[in-house]
Amino acid sequence: MAATTESVKADAAEAPLLNKRNLTLGVLLYLVFYSFIRWYEGVYGWSAGLDSFAPEFETYWMNMLYIEIVAEVVLFAGINGYIWKTRDRKVMSITPREELRRHFTHWTWLVCYGWAIYWGASYFTEQDGTWHQTIVRDTDFTPSHIIEFYLSYPIYIITGTASFMYAKTRLPTYQEGLHLMYLVVVIGPFMILPNVGLNEWGHTFWFMEELFVAPLHYGFVFFGWAALGILGVLNTEVMAIAKLLKKDLA
Amino acid sequence: MSASQSAVRSRAEAVQVSRTFDWMILFTLFTAVLGGYHIHYMLTGGDWDFWTDWKDRRLWVTVAPIVSITFPAAVQACLWWRYRLPVGATLSVIALMVGEWINRYLNFWGWTYFPVNFVFPSNLLPGAIVLDVILMLGNSMTLTAVVGGLAYGLLFYPGNWPIIAPLHVPVEYNGMMMTLADLQGYHYVRTGTPEYIRMVEKGTLRTFGKDVAPVSAFFSGFVSIIIYFLWHFFGRWFSKTDFIADDAS
Repeated sequence: MAATTESVKADAAEAPLLNKRNLTLGVLLYLVFYSFIRWYEGVYGWSAGLDSFAPEFETYWMNMLYIEIVAEVVLFAGINGYIWKTRDRKVMSITPREELRRHFTHWTWLVCYGWAIYWGASYFTEQDGTWHQTIVRDTDFTPSHIIEFYLSYPIYIITGTASFMYAKTRLPTYQEGLHLMYLVVVIGPFMILPNVGLNEWGHTFWFMEELFVAPLHYGFVFFGWAALGILGVLNTEVMAIAKLLKKDLA
Repeated sequence: MSASQSAVRSRAEAVQVSRTFDWMILFTLFTAVLGGYHIHYMLTGGDWDFWTDWKDRRLWVTVAPIVSITFPAAVQACLWWRYRLPVGATLSVIALMVGEWINRYLNFWGWTYFPVNFVFPSNLLPGAIVLDVILMLGNSMTLTAVVGGLAYGLLFYPGNWPIIAPLHVPVEYNGMMMTLADLQGYHYVRTGTPEYIRMVEKGTLRTFGKDVAPVSAFFSGFVSIIIYFLWHFFGRWFSKTDFIADDAS
């Protein structure tokens, strides 16, 4: 009886398999932040973002660029440093339940990654289309670029890298080596940043018109394909989770 | 770790865990495909898809299916061959259309004030559904590529015709005859337009025969077959679960 009571107490004290609070907060964080960014664009895009030589452009847009770059470097180093520093050195000896719990945490990261890639590659990228078709670019740092290239892309790179780091440092599934498709998922988006350099160089020297299907943009297309690497990660995860649940689902 | 230990306490918990993973996986797959597909489609077929007066031109009928059959083929290659889920193409296209509609409404209309009837996205759903149905019934990649790929190209124009038909109504404006879609283009000036008009109009598509849309659609269907094959194998490659040696570990 006493043993049963202890066991029930232990169950009650145990952390849930899926931390729903973290999942909700993660998704909401991106939603609220990007809603604020969209509001900021709506107000200051037209009022302060049309002429890069104007003093108000420096105030509302260039300062934003400087702040976001510093914040991203700090976030990247902080999150990945923390995950690495607190890594599990006995990852192969965890219990199946703990492993399942960690898969849920991993999927919380992956949900955030998918959410971040939506905002970066879909929402803000096509938004850049409407801005350029309306206002001719005068520098590489237009309001839409300051959000798209230098804010939303780094955010999904940071989220993807953190997700990879979590899997590598805490899940037995990823101890065999480096998961090829996970690397594609993480490195592909990262390579978009050098391609931004090529893009801006090309626009500076060749044309100011924004031709979305022009070959100059094909690098973005190629690295966009890297998102499909999620299929390989999904397959690996399904195999790992099925292995954990198989006999209980039979 | 003991193989005899369970990760869950009961079968009911196992079922609940499995369902919860399903939803998390679906969300991640949907949004990741959405992002990758959207950036791909925007930068390979996007300009024709942005504006209704370019949808008035035959190059749109040719280009849009060829570049949009890519992700459906790749996602099918994973979801059908691994999980027997005949929804890969439809899931991809729904993801793309959700992303496009959100953007056209909140940004094209909400930020830079283009009317929605000028910037609505193309409808790719009929072709995607047919692609999935052929794969499900035929269980053959070759059949899906050849019949499905051709159908994907052929269905694109009729699938959009009910939506764009009103914009093809002829109007006279300053003594010139044009379509309503063209008239919109005159009134809402875009920075990239002249270059595109030069690219499109120097072709002969508009002048060989009275209406070349069926020819364009067939050509698009044939190329879509090749692209389907190619992207099916891309999808298989992206589905790999291989590891590369980690010397540091």
